[in-house]
Amino acid sequence: MTHCPRCAHDTVGRLATSPVPGVWDVLQCHRCRYTWRTTEPARRTRRDAYPDAFKLTADDLAAAVEVPAVPPLRTTP
Amino acid sequence: MAYDDLRGFLAALEAEGQLLRITDEVLPEPDLAAAANAAGRIGEGAPALWFDNVKGFTDARIAMNVHGSWTNHALALGLPANTPVKDQVETFAARWDAFPVAPERRADAPWRENTQQGDDVDLFSVLPLFRLNDGDGGFYLDKAAVVSRDPEDPDDFGKQNVGTYRLQVIGNNRLALQPVPVHDVALHLRKAEERGEDLPIAVTLGNDPVLTLVAGMPMAYDASEYEMAGALRQAPAPIATAPLTGFDVPWGSEVVIEGVIESRTRQIEGPFGEFTGHYSGGRRMPVIRVDRISYRDAPVFESLYLGKPWTEVDYLVGPNTCVPLLKQLRAEYPEVRAVNAMYTHGLLVIISTAKRYGGFAKAVGMRAMTTPHGLGYVSQVIVVDEDIDPFDLPQVMWAMSAKVNPRDDVVILPNLSVVELAPAAQPAGLTSKMIIDATTPVGADARGNFSTPVKDLPEAEEWAARLRQLIAAQG
Repeated sequence: MTHCPRCAHDTVGRLATSPVPGVWDVLQCHRCRYTWRTTEPARRTRRDAYPDAFKLTADDLAAAVEVPAVPPLRTTP
Repeated sequence: MAYDDLRGFLAALEAEGQLLRITDEVLPEPDLAAAANAAGRIGEGAPALWFDNVKGFTDARIAMNVHGSWTNHALALGLPANTPVKDQVETFAARWDAFPVAPERRADAPWRENTQQGDDVDLFSVLPLFRLNDGDGGFYLDKAAVVSRDPEDPDDFGKQNVGTYRLQVIGNNRLALQPVPVHDVALHLRKAEERGEDLPIAVTLGNDPVLTLVAGMPMAYDASEYEMAGALRQAPAPIATAPLTGFDVPWGSEVVIEGVIESRTRQIEGPFGEFTGHYSGGRRMPVIRVDRISYRDAPVFESLYLGKPWTEVDYLVGPNTCVPLLKQLRAEYPEVRAVNAMYTHGLLVIISTAKRYGGFAKAVGMRAMTTPHGLGYVSQVIVVDEDIDPFDLPQVMWAMSAKVNPRDDVVILPNLSVVELAPAAQPAGLTSKMIIDATTPVGADARGNFSTPVKDLPEAEEWAARLRQLIAAQG
């Protein structure tokens, strides 16, 4: 099973496949949206080689700030 | 010489020896980004890079580093390749005075050749997407011109914005967008979201080189980027009507992506290696649903490497950041000679000015911090005398070393605004700001011993131009 290199989530989808058959796929984590090509270096594609500085946890994702913040709905026209 | 599209400019770069075709097969990662990264490390005359043999793709055409040297920046403006930076900025400023130049609407946009819409939309089938830096959250469109309109005044041509914002590809028909709150697209989005409405948007890729410069320029909210492009090109900017949104988009774009920013929605985006030389994100950002893609036959995908400066983005937003500050300072202080705001989009600015009286240079520095761009940038100002070229850093360092008495000439102002992306801000969006007055004191300021400066010989300037011509003639 493929895990997300960044957040370790176990649900990963395929966004694209190489026009030349069988060369690479582009995968994406369904939780943190991290996107990678299967031919990229291990430091971008494998959980055990992924730099700690860029790893995300479920708590990090829940705490991510909104930019820009969603404004209040206008109550008058 | 005005270029109506990216292809015309790439052909001109090739004719000047400023387009390097990489013919060996390369990997999409890390080769494409690494090559463009390296272009920023090989000197001031680096060429644009062209790739069309990328592993796994059958028909990728990728252009990078198109604006990534002073040589290419000069050629984008139709100037001789070896034009000095100070002269490029002065030409930029002089052409600005022709603003506004009305655009020319054309019906036969080449991007009408191909269309995807609705469920058929697939960004990956049109664009050879790839990653730039190790820590990036995904693949980015980072050299687009993003077009949006003021939802409360959609027919105002001037309020229609054309800007460059980072866009992460988060699905086959979805993009995440970073609208920095002070920027025009964020003002448009705020108005739409207050009304609970989606904001229509057009993303144009692979544009003519001056349109790209203007899209990255801090202009007034109601000033038209197309009318400024006309002034800088010295010819009307060709525009066309986008089929879905009805927006005005560049006639010559390679790809036009249309859709909406979904109202009141945020989704995780980033990180991305930014112009600050640091990553920013991940944060929850607005999301675009793509409803239609129009594109030329054999579209060229233009991308830009950015990371630890200097990279292409520094050339791209260097002069176009200098000129608004130069104009705004000169409006009240005609003594200002030149402004170098090309370090990290103007977080640091060097200003050369004549002085009215003692203390004047510090006032000029404070004014730079209160210009519209300065409010969000300009955290450090170095002010130098009128005979110092602020683009010549050895001259600036001489002024700093010889003319600054730190106790009296360094002013620090606490708790002023700055973009949230500024890495040194604490908290994000707030910083102290500093003025270094490296000018020669004038009355009533009688400090120091500056009565006998050595000056360049009167003939030296003419000789510099002569030497540049001789070197250029050598080829």
